[in-house]
Amino acid sequence: MLNILIVGNGQCGNRILDAINREAFGKKSRFAKYLSQQKYKSNVQTIAINTAVNDLKEMSFTKAKDRIHIPHLHGVGANRNVGKHVFDDNKTHIMRQIEERGNFDVCFVITSASGGTGSSFTPMLVKELKAKHDYPVYVVVVLPFREEGTLYLQNAAFCLRDIRESGADGIILADNQFLKQMGGNMESAYNGINDMIAKRILFLLDALDSEMMMVTDLGDFKTVMSGGAGLATIGFYEATEEMPVRSVIQKALSPSGLLFSTDVYEEASRAMVIIRGDRERLSIDEISTEVEKLSSAVGHVFKGIIVRDGELPQVLAVLTLETASELENLYAIAVDAIKYERDKKERVANVKEVDRAFSQIDGMDPSY
Amino acid sequence: MVRTTRSFVISLCIVFFCLIMAGNASAAVELYNGTVTTGDGYQINNFVIDVTDAFPSAESASFYVYNNGNEVADFLINEGDSYELDFEDDSTIEVYLVSVSSGTLPVVRISLVLNNYPLGDVYESGVIDGGHKYAVYSGTPELKITKAVDISDVSVGDLIRVTVTAENVGDDKATGVIFQEPQQAKFLLYESFVSPTGQTSLEIGESKTIAVYQLKATEAGTYTLSPTTATFSNSAGLNFPQASSNSPVVTVGAGENLVNANIEFTTTLDKYTVSRNENIQGTIKIKNTGDAPATGVTVDIQVPEGLDFKGSSGIESISGVPKIYLESFGVQQEKEYSFTLKAAEVGTYTLSTENSYLYSDGVNTQLQEVSSDFVTNSIYVTKGKYDSLLEQPIYVYAIPLLIIGAIAGWIYYRHKQYKF
Ligand SMILES: Nc1nc2c(ncn2[C@@H]2O[C@H](COP(=O)(O)OP(=O)(O)OP(=O)(O)O)[C@@H](O)[C@H]2O)c(=O)[nH]1
Ligand SMILES: [Mg+2]
Repeated sequence: MLNILIVGNGQCGNRILDAINREAFGKKSRFAKYLSQQKYKSNVQTIAINTAVNDLKEMSFTKAKDRIHIPHLHGVGANRNVGKHVFDDNKTHIMRQIEERGNFDVCFVITSASGGTGSSFTPMLVKELKAKHDYPVYVVVVLPFREEGTLYLQNAAFCLRDIRESGADGIILADNQFLKQMGGNMESAYNGINDMIAKRILFLLDALDSEMMMVTDLGDFKTVMSGGAGLATIGFYEATEEMPVRSVIQKALSPSGLLFSTDVYEEASRAMVIIRGDRERLSIDEISTEVEKLSSAVGHVFKGIIVRDGELPQVLAVLTLETASELENLYAIAVDAIKYERDKKERVANVKEVDRAFSQIDGMDPSY
Repeated sequence: MVRTTRSFVISLCIVFFCLIMAGNASAAVELYNGTVTTGDGYQINNFVIDVTDAFPSAESASFYVYNNGNEVADFLINEGDSYELDFEDDSTIEVYLVSVSSGTLPVVRISLVLNNYPLGDVYESGVIDGGHKYAVYSGTPELKITKAVDISDVSVGDLIRVTVTAENVGDDKATGVIFQEPQQAKFLLYESFVSPTGQTSLEIGESKTIAVYQLKATEAGTYTLSPTTATFSNSAGLNFPQASSNSPVVTVGAGENLVNANIEFTTTLDKYTVSRNENIQGTIKIKNTGDAPATGVTVDIQVPEGLDFKGSSGIESISGVPKIYLESFGVQQEKEYSFTLKAAEVGTYTLSTENSYLYSDGVNTQLQEVSSDFVTNSIYVTKGKYDSLLEQPIYVYAIPLLIIGAIAGWIYYRHKQYKF
């Protein structure tokens, strides 16, 4: 049995963590926590960290003792520099909370790239963890909507770089922009995206700790994640009606199944495909054909099959990317955003000259 | 002249003395001096002296003496001799045999002298053919006089029929019977149908209607009617003490001008079988069916333990007893009070009321007080809907409570666990 640590930083991280915990109860009901127990196969510890107490309060499926509030007003207001300072000040407190939970086999940290708290805490936390432990740490990074503003884009760009430099063993990308096809209002769109991410992570955890017919394990996952440019994403599809397993695999690898926009046959460098379902529905021939098709384009593909009586086929694919054209696009607009922000700052500095005009009358009184 | 007057006085005195002697019991009086044929007898009152045999040659005769048919003595005497035999009380009869002469049947001549017996008391004296077997003895007639009234409780002005009958329950005929019907004070002889007429007689066992008449009551009160009396003699002419009838008692009410209040109190309930904790609606109905108004009408409701009186308008609770009080209550007036009872305990109960009222009867100055009780039918209070729950053993509650407690505990625990 694996010991797994999942940390959710900032509002986005917290909410996705809560979605994972809810998904683990099996039911979507608000009362699930009273009615059932979480169905983690492994020893899973979850920790939510935030500077905004309201974000922590809004969680409902994560135990209170697993929510760590770092007091600093109500968040750091998307300012990563402030966030870094706050983390530094509270480093021992945060780390002690994590140490208390013992040792782990693998750690996932979830955060948005563009906020203040999550994006600044995550790289520093990863650095601390890697310095003290030798278990792999993977970061699930949520990229902002492109129209959310220059500050977020700028943060996203720097955050990704910081995470790469922090010593993380891999970055799993989830792109709000790409996932916004979910539709609906902001709130339901977020919930939909969070559920997708939660479902994939749970499936992945389940797969890593399963007795598989054709084995993939944590070692294989590590190998896949170490390939490529250290960036990865996850594809998933769950059949809702009878369909050939071949189609399910194809859908998992198609844009509708992926968390991040990429052409897997073009950009992926290593892959792990886990197929789950009733034995009858899992045609080895079809699976082999599809996996071969992928490996001929990608290289090595780890393949795992989990037999579950009566279940319709579900497919999860973890793909590391050699190149990410979408990320390049992001950085391109991020550079513009950074420039724009710097110009604005200079403009604001000029505006301060107005103050100099006012200062000319310092110490004088009007005479009538 | 003086001499003649003196001798006249002396002779008067002698006559007087003789008269006294005659009336005196101690005197000896010859009752009979005559003949009696053998086989015949001589009767004096209830005594019969039979001549059983006469012996002319021996100049003697034998006698048997009977009292009321029973032999009491027998003797044989010679001519010139006498025999003294005991008679009634302390008196005696001296039988003196004068002569015996022969004939178809020998005949004796006797002299009977009564000693120490008032002659007036001799009611029978004479020869009886055939002797004692043919004697008639005198007995004691006894009159039973019955006075009856057809009604003994009347009002002033009412008529009472009085019937007087007499029956001879003695062993001799009553002769010379004279009935005396007295006048009744406070009553008027209204009409007489049969009245006693002069002297009459009653044979043994005979009964006669002596008088039938109607009396009219004239004044309120309780009266004892005076008895009818009778004087009579027996067949031998012997007088007896007077007989008296019974004395019926008659009560005479004040009559027409008497009025009264008559109040009926009835308590009814809408149901007599209820479950515990249910309510019972009761109604007390008060109605004056009399012809006088009443005052101080009071109804005390006796509520048994186990039922709770929940009050109502018009019924006041005075020191715990629900009470209705009406200062006055007219003729034919009717009133209803409703109230509510709550069945507090399982059981069988009755509800009773103690009722009383006063009224003036128009005759007496004092108020008449009437009190009565009314008891309802039994009220059955059965177990309430949820009563059986209370009777369950403790585990019946304990288990669900434990389960609820456990669930609540779990929810609280979870809530705490997840409450940030
Ligand atoms: N998918 C998803 N994205 C979210 C959610 N909440 C916020 N985001 C995204 O996260 C970014 C904002 O970062 P947050 O996580 O809210 O910021 P934070 O880490 O709490 O930092 P501060 O609030 O600035 O202190 C934006 O790009 C949002 O689109 C969520 O529930 N789901
Ligand atoms: Mg926030």
